Amino acid sequence: MNAKFWQIIVSILLVVSFTASADEKLSVYAVNYPLAYFAERIGGSSVNVVLPVPADIDPAFWEPDASVIAEFQQADLILLNGAGYAKWLKHASLPRRKLVNTSAAFQRDYISVEQTVTHQHGPGGDHSHAGTAFTTWLDFNQARMQAKAILSVLENQRPRHADTFIQNYTLLEKDLVSLDQTLSAIVAQDSNKPFIASHPVYQYLARRYNINMKSVMWEPEIMPQQNQWDALQQLLATHSAGWMIWEGQPDKQSATRLEELDINSLVFSPCANTPEEGDFISVMKNNIREIEKAFR
Amino acid sequence: MINSLYIAWRYLVFNKVRSATLIACITLIAFLPMALQLILEESQQLLQSRANSTPLLLGARGSALDLVMNSLYFDDEVPEIISMQAADEITDTGLAYVIPLYIRFQARNKPIVGTSIDYFDFRNLQIAQGRMLAVLGESVIGAGVAEEYGLAPGDSIVSSPDTLFDLAGAYPLKMTVAGILERSHTPDDQAVFVDLKTAWVIEGLGHGHEDLSRTRDSSVILNRSEDSVTANAKLFQYTEITEENMEGFHFHGDASIYPLTALLAIPDDAKAATLLRGRYLENQQYHIVRPTEVIQGLMENIFRIKRVIDAVIAIVGLATVLAIALVFSLSVRLRQRELTTIFKLGCSRMTAVKLIAAEIVIIVLAAGIICAGLLYIVDANVETLVRMFILN
Repeated sequence: MNAKFWQIIVSILLVVSFTASADEKLSVYAVNYPLAYFAERIGGSSVNVVLPVPADIDPAFWEPDASVIAEFQQADLILLNGAGYAKWLKHASLPRRKLVNTSAAFQRDYISVEQTVTHQHGPGGDHSHAGTAFTTWLDFNQARMQAKAILSVLENQRPRHADTFIQNYTLLEKDLVSLDQTLSAIVAQDSNKPFIASHPVYQYLARRYNINMKSVMWEPEIMPQQNQWDALQQLLATHSAGWMIWEGQPDKQSATRLEELDINSLVFSPCANTPEEGDFISVMKNNIREIEKAFR
Repeated sequence: MINSLYIAWRYLVFNKVRSATLIACITLIAFLPMALQLILEESQQLLQSRANSTPLLLGARGSALDLVMNSLYFDDEVPEIISMQAADEITDTGLAYVIPLYIRFQARNKPIVGTSIDYFDFRNLQIAQGRMLAVLGESVIGAGVAEEYGLAPGDSIVSSPDTLFDLAGAYPLKMTVAGILERSHTPDDQAVFVDLKTAWVIEGLGHGHEDLSRTRDSSVILNRSEDSVTANAKLFQYTEITEENMEGFHFHGDASIYPLTALLAIPDDAKAATLLRGRYLENQQYHIVRPTEVIQGLMENIFRIKRVIDAVIAIVGLATVLAIALVFSLSVRLRQRELTTIFKLGCSRMTAVKLIAAEIVIIVLAAGIICAGLLYIVDANVETLVRMFILN
């Protein structure tokens, strides 16, 4: 009886330990907030999502130190945006096996950034550092595909929780489709309406929703210099926009001077980093309300 | 018997040269085949265990042995180059994950292994000092390399030029040692590991230089237009990657055509392995090999040769035994007077036999002891001998 008793105890312990290890949370590191948000929504309690970028830094240009890179190396999954996002990836050593390019499904549709200076030396011929637009999630259909890629990889990692992941993804997909349809409907009212983007980060937004948009290279918190105002004037000569889209609240002086040129300001936050308030969906809903102002 | 041994010992000591020669002959005949067996067993174990732990290897169609020896044992013979596209193709099949390898360069006669971080998990290599690779330009070295060159985390190691005659070619790269691996008793102990991108920088596919669009030195500019700047060979390229200049490092061209020497393919299961091998059966460009099969073939060849060598040693051994027997027989004839004197002193014929036998016993025993000593030394250093004579 003693031997049988201990056999039962050992079996129970083995089952418990197996179950415990199988249910251990997946450690998921993301390079930007949208991906972290999607992973949290889909993974729920099965994932521990980390976005180690400090709150006041643009994740696209953040440079982590060796200790943070080591954290990425230890993660179970590393969610990449693709399209050249996160410049630090070019120089970092990360395990290939854990990398997930969430935009691989539509990489043929990446937008190349124009007006880049190329350079050439040696026998290799003319080479370009042409960039790629990387705010892929601002096209909510692409955002949905990126979320789908995250679903797929989570299902592979934790097949026991696949049903839960699918349910969660379905709810997220519903939110993203709603954003997509709402914005499409708003812009469709006047698809030729010209806009100026304060920064070249709205390429995918413009393409998806047929927004007639041209970009300058301004920062919200910095009053542009005179040559930048002159360049804007030149642009307005062929593109008479009545609205400028900002990444964040513009400097008051900039906004006032724009009003003098009959240009109103609205904020469409790319939400690349964790927002101070709300979440990705609430920020995008707010963005849509802002852009709706231009169509009233 | 003790008396016979004593007299035999005194006789042998008196005839040092003859005794030493006999002992040396017997020692060699006994030592050679046993030492060879030890070395081959150790090499088989070393080669086989490494090969057994590597499921599949993909490389350019050609010599499977070169591919395996370079990829698993970091042999100097570099196989034909393949491209990163091969890695993407296998990853896209979903049947296996790949670990790319670019093993072409050296640093102070140690192979530089360009790979991804996955390699360390795959080979179960742990960091003993310092930390893992984090950024471009860093290296992690094996315990053997650290010991031989007295390196510690924070030191540097410079890549050796590919050729001394390519003055306009790739510059040697000074790499920071980020960490040192724990000893693993594998070829990894003697390697310098870098990220694949760092290996490509050594190749010259990636480099860093000042921003040409902002340079103030017009003598480096060959031509400038609105959207293009052409520099000449005067443009200085950094030979060390530091925190300050790292952002300036970049790669030209399409990464999918960048070079590799091999891919370690780790399939999900046996079925995936079979499917993957099947996909490359007819491929003209690449082939997939099972290292364990290649090494088995190699060992069979080696042991086939060993059997020939054993046969030769056996024949030589027989000849040596016959020669020794002849020596003893001639010795008995030459010592006839001595043996007659022993009889006249009152000893029996058996005493003479015992004396000769005692001499043989002492010679064989001495040879045996020396042989055992030599075998002990070989056994203690067999790993080094295998690396020196077989793996290198």
